Amino acid sequence: MTAVVVTGLGVVSPFGAGVKAYWNGLVAGACAIRPATLIETEGFRCRLAAEVPERVGGSARRSRADRLALAAAREALGDAGLGREERAEAALIVGAVGGGMLEAEAWYWSRFRGEPAKDARALRSTFPLSHAAVLGSALGLGGPRETLVTACSSGAASLAVAADLIAAGEAPVALAGGVDALTRICFMGFNALRLLDPEPCRPFDRDRRGMSIGEGAAFVVLEDRMRARARGARIYAELAGYGMTTDAFHVTSPHPDGEGMVRAMRSALERSGVAPGAVGYANAHGTATPQNDRIEARALREVFGEGRLLVSSTKSMIGHTMAAAGALEAVATVLALGHEVIPPTANHTTPDPEVAFDCVPVVAREAAVEFAISNSFGFGGQNVTLLFGRTER
Amino acid sequence: MRRVVVTGVGFVTPAVAGGRAALAAALTGRAVPAPARVAGGVLAELIERDEARRLSRACQLAVAAGRLALADAGREGADGLGMIVGTEFGDLASTLSFVDGYLRRGPQGLSPLLFPNTVMNAMAATATIAVRARELSLTLNAPTVAGELAVARAASLIRADRIEAALAGGVDELDPLVEEVLGSMGAGDELRGEGAGFVVLEAEEAARARGARVLGELAGAASRALSARSYGLGRRTASRAIAAALEQAGLRAAEIGRVFTSASGDDRRNRWEEALLDAALAPHRPPRTTLAAHVRRHAGSGPLAVAAAALGAAVSGGALVYAVARGGTHVALVVRRP
Repeated sequence: MTAVVVTGLGVVSPFGAGVKAYWNGLVAGACAIRPATLIETEGFRCRLAAEVPERVGGSARRSRADRLALAAAREALGDAGLGREERAEAALIVGAVGGGMLEAEAWYWSRFRGEPAKDARALRSTFPLSHAAVLGSALGLGGPRETLVTACSSGAASLAVAADLIAAGEAPVALAGGVDALTRICFMGFNALRLLDPEPCRPFDRDRRGMSIGEGAAFVVLEDRMRARARGARIYAELAGYGMTTDAFHVTSPHPDGEGMVRAMRSALERSGVAPGAVGYANAHGTATPQNDRIEARALREVFGEGRLLVSSTKSMIGHTMAAAGALEAVATVLALGHEVIPPTANHTTPDPEVAFDCVPVVAREAAVEFAISNSFGFGGQNVTLLFGRTER
Repeated sequence: MRRVVVTGVGFVTPAVAGGRAALAAALTGRAVPAPARVAGGVLAELIERDEARRLSRACQLAVAAGRLALADAGREGADGLGMIVGTEFGDLASTLSFVDGYLRRGPQGLSPLLFPNTVMNAMAATATIAVRARELSLTLNAPTVAGELAVARAASLIRADRIEAALAGGVDELDPLVEEVLGSMGAGDELRGEGAGFVVLEAEEAARARGARVLGELAGAASRALSARSYGLGRRTASRAIAAALEQAGLRAAEIGRVFTSASGDDRRNRWEEALLDAALAPHRPPRTTLAAHVRRHAGSGPLAVAAAALGAAVSGGALVYAVARGGTHVALVVRRP
């Protein structure tokens, strides 16, 4: 069986550009959720978001999301040290939801108001597929190329599919990740569903009131372990397995028993041959909505038992970055394994009796764990669990 | 590696809706451009009134075609079933309705019921609920080749023992804004339409065990990316996807008896596709067919080409379903007699 390993990381997060800024922010327990500046928030219950703070480089003709993706992808490829010939064989799997909607919204708003027509060619980067086209072309990636949309689990699903491509021998190496820029539609929609906290979110806290929205991008380079060793690549971790399931229950609500989440976690464990007791950390989906956190905690308890597992939600610091979330959290999980430090759940002050785990409140924790999971769940009951191993087996 | 077989097809297109019998009948008819949009009456016959009230039109197309495919496959239960949906535009009509509510009435005008449909997996989400598909579900967003990519991904997942069976296909609704924008980008002459098309793919052993009527074997599936700018055309004509799919199927180019292409009236893209096929199959030149004249081009038409190839699998050797998109993604699927 082919082992799939992580050999490159790239991130643009609300802590800024780069993996280093991201990890430093997470370990510090810093909260990057602030008043939103990229979009109009007048009249909404929540007016906060975790935005990428600095100017995002690249051509202004490209959408903000395309530029976020390019910056993170370039860092990951550079980190992995992939040359031009290796890139020509590399698969590209991108998880995305909003595409270039931030710019398309501006076009549509303007048209609605009857302002002079703007060039419709600006809309060619509207759809999520734009990211794969832009990255593939700019970075010379010639293997299989797919854009996955599984709502908030898109970034995690991209890593899972890329791992399958490598395991099946369909590509020797893959760049996989997720991206989403802040959009008005996303912000308005979650406000309309009353799922946003007017204050920075507090995952797993007894008094949590909803999520905070964020933006960003993260990519990882995955490859066959033998190949990575042969070329002397730095191996961060092994992607030991994944589980992907569908609730088939409700378009926006998870199954009340979390049965789809349980199946995803168990599938990841079973396919990788890792016992539940060997997993020491779960980077939870942890959106901070009362319902999601309660159900996820129940599902975690059913799979791993009470108490022992460390559980944290990095969304408490960078918000819910939608399609980027699964990839950003995968990077956090990989770094936690390597650094032997568990990032905390910021803003977590009052334990919830329904959450039977140590949620690593406020302060990062030193802990050496062998295996860790990263959970991502999305609208449509789309559940993904990624299982990473610190050591090569 | 497990073998993958096609055991059912279901589709809703402007010209016709149904399963394998309807497809066979449509293909024997004279190829004349069908209307671009699916008539309201067609969907009303396939979707219950209560369900129609809850589901957007794009979701109705996906649900109806998915059910027709499962019925055609004779699958009563959905155990072990995954769902892979390709789409180019998603549920754009719902997205625009959601936005219009805000622009007309401010935050009070936003519909929480419409919001989930602004995410492209809305069709997969509603269809998995409708058919109780509880294994993994993916939505693939791509220009032109989304349906073929979905079939390739599903085949790969079954071959790797990730899932036992899949509804794989595509759906797209033709929105006036899309037509306007595509026209302004110079793609106005394409035989674009709307519709949904799915095939049921299963691991051969499982299909045989339940006595399924196998249409054909999906013996090879591969996708790659050629160098090209976004929505642009490339100059290279060597298709590594065709070579990989043939190798997986254990066939030589000379054994391909028919090619189903994605030709749809975008002349420059069509010429690129022809050049890629010429280079990959030379000196062999099997007959080439496009379904665009029968069902127009949409994310569901690629999966229908797979089913059509399987229906015509009396052709010795195998049939190749091939599609290349502006931007360079190209997909090759090899179908042969089971």
